[in-house]
Amino acid sequence: MAAPSLEPARPATLRLAFAPTLASAREVSVAIRNFLAEQGVAEKELFSYELCIAEASNNAVEYAEGPCRNLKPIAEALFTPTQIELRVTDHTAGFTLMERLPPPSPMTDRGRGLFLIQSVMDEVRYLRGTNENILVMRKKRRAVRPSEAPVSPSPSNIPSPEETRIQLAESAAKIAKMADELLLRSETLSSVFRCCSELGRIDTNSEIFEGKLLIDLLHLTSADWYVLRMISPDGRRLLVAAASEPDLASEPIELPEAGVRAIGIEAIVASSQTSVRFDNRETPDPSEPLRAVGPEGAGYVCPLCFGGTLVGTIAVGRRSGDFPLGRLQDEVIRAFAEFLAIQTLSHDRRKREVRNRVVARELEIAQHIQHLLLPRELPQLPGFGLVGGWQSAREVGGDFYDAITVEGDSLLLMIADVMGKGVPAALFATTMRGLLRGLAERSSDPSQLLCGLNRLLYKELSSVSMFITAQIVLVDMRTRQLTAASAGHCPFLFIPPGPRRVSSMPIRGLPLGVKSHTSYPHHVANMGSPAALLLYTDGLTDTRNKAGATYGQQRLKAWMQEEMIPGRSATDMRDRLASELNQFRGDTEMDDDQAFLLLTEDQAAGSKRPSAIDKACKLRRGSFLFPANS
Amino acid sequence: MKIQREGESLIVSDIHELTAVNSSSFRDEINSALTGSTVVIEIDLSNTQFMDSSGLGALFALYRSTIKREGVVLRLLNPVPEIEQLLELTQMQQLFEIVRR
Repeated sequence: MAAPSLEPARPATLRLAFAPTLASAREVSVAIRNFLAEQGVAEKELFSYELCIAEASNNAVEYAEGPCRNLKPIAEALFTPTQIELRVTDHTAGFTLMERLPPPSPMTDRGRGLFLIQSVMDEVRYLRGTNENILVMRKKRRAVRPSEAPVSPSPSNIPSPEETRIQLAESAAKIAKMADELLLRSETLSSVFRCCSELGRIDTNSEIFEGKLLIDLLHLTSADWYVLRMISPDGRRLLVAAASEPDLASEPIELPEAGVRAIGIEAIVASSQTSVRFDNRETPDPSEPLRAVGPEGAGYVCPLCFGGTLVGTIAVGRRSGDFPLGRLQDEVIRAFAEFLAIQTLSHDRRKREVRNRVVARELEIAQHIQHLLLPRELPQLPGFGLVGGWQSAREVGGDFYDAITVEGDSLLLMIADVMGKGVPAALFATTMRGLLRGLAERSSDPSQLLCGLNRLLYKELSSVSMFITAQIVLVDMRTRQLTAASAGHCPFLFIPPGPRRVSSMPIRGLPLGVKSHTSYPHHVANMGSPAALLLYTDGLTDTRNKAGATYGQQRLKAWMQEEMIPGRSATDMRDRLASELNQFRGDTEMDDDQAFLLLTEDQAAGSKRPSAIDKACKLRRGSFLFPANS
Repeated sequence: MKIQREGESLIVSDIHELTAVNSSSFRDEINSALTGSTVVIEIDLSNTQFMDSSGLGALFALYRSTIKREGVVLRLLNPVPEIEQLLELTQMQQLFEIVRR
């Protein structure tokens, strides 16, 4: 048991009040030096303490002003074996002590005193009062315990020269090992730093980066080959991403399904996520991919994983002879493996981000196209109201409609649904709209128009396995006659003459893009008065509610029967239909686009007619877009 | 403190300490001993046991007055380790030629 050390309960203290002159201040610092010397403080330390007391005392004298010049400053020293505390009480206006003063320029004559104190002592505080401030300076000391005091060796304790030589050799070996370890660690770190700085460069390609890192790894572990395998995008195979020599870049390795035993060292390492050592002299399996390093090869295979995510494996070793792998090399390889895994994961994440940005941009473009696609304004004929509604399930929809005035008092209405989404659908829609406008200059017959559209679009549509359902209705306002043709589109609803009952008009016809040559029969019907006509896409009738039921044509018909009251304007009807559909759907996600065209007739001549100019509307997901006037 | 003149050199020695108490007189005495022919000033610090920031200030003042006189060399001789450390700490060792004999 160690002897209890005797330490004084209170520090040995010297407290001196001195006349406020530089000479007294000097005397005081000498007295404190002597006091500390008596406590056993070493000669080389005394200079510092004397300096601190001198600086503080000089300040106390030099900066005192007015009546305070007559007050005596006080210098104190408190000594314990583990700490020396110096205090100087001054009667000055005081100053603000900075955390740690910067070294003053050698060219300046100011600020040296405090700088010296802060350089020499461990802790400096300035306690400010009114006309009395205390500068407290502390320095920790290492207590010298009696047991640590050097013991003069007794003759029997003196080791023989032989023993000393052995001890010396042992120490030298220990130091050499420590130096090696230090070197290895610092090289590992610098390699990682080098790679990190390389990564910061925009033009860095990940293969070059991996190659440099792996060459460093070879040097550090005295290995002479490496094979880096990465998991394939489908996660089912390990592909060689880099190898020190081409002959090591062997075939991909299949990763086993869960529960099946892995074959091959790298596959075992990947599925167990634990490192494995191997020696080909002990590995009899001729199909082992790592036999490529030679029958005498040996090495170490480490999984590349971070945060539980496996990205690949790294194998390093020597082609012949032992591959010595101490704790340290093992650690170095693991550090590299983890670093590579982190880099690979963050590289993948960056790539994903770029891809997402591209997709988002593509959608933005498509949305823009779609915006252009829907007519900014619908033509209006005297006494009639025509409005359109459109709502897209995703960023870009394939539904669209158009209306063209022909021969003064007829309207050509078209509604279509491109089967497909995104940019291609939007491009077809634009093309189709343009073609229709071109064809309509020569003919306003819906059958001929659909025939022409199919002929012109068939090749492009079939090459990408897309098709379009479309419906064209020619409304002759003068004769109140409807002439319609349909390319696989859902029937439209209207009210024929006689008792006001909503009818549907189913018309047969193949969608555009299915057959190169096909005909579209036309159907003729008469409108009742006031007129009511609804062209729509199947997104309306396919709207689902929470319970999974579809809205259906029956409901749509019933709604029209109920709500198409003579005297209601087209915009009023449009709003009612939109809210009817949204109400039915509730919180359920939309899974298809919706579009419709609605024609109404004013009840009395001379009633207020809608303006012919529609306002451009901003596209908004989940809400109807109403390009018609409101 | 002793000031000797040897040809073109001015040798200051026997400085027990250089502090707030004596730094001004140290400066004044050297300045009054300087003549137009002085080329080397040697401050012998062999016996100097203590120096504070005022002492450093005095050396600095001397340095400033010598750089005004072109060709004058200022040398510090044999400072004790503690004072040499002090000069290093305040980066003032850059200003002087420190010589050990």
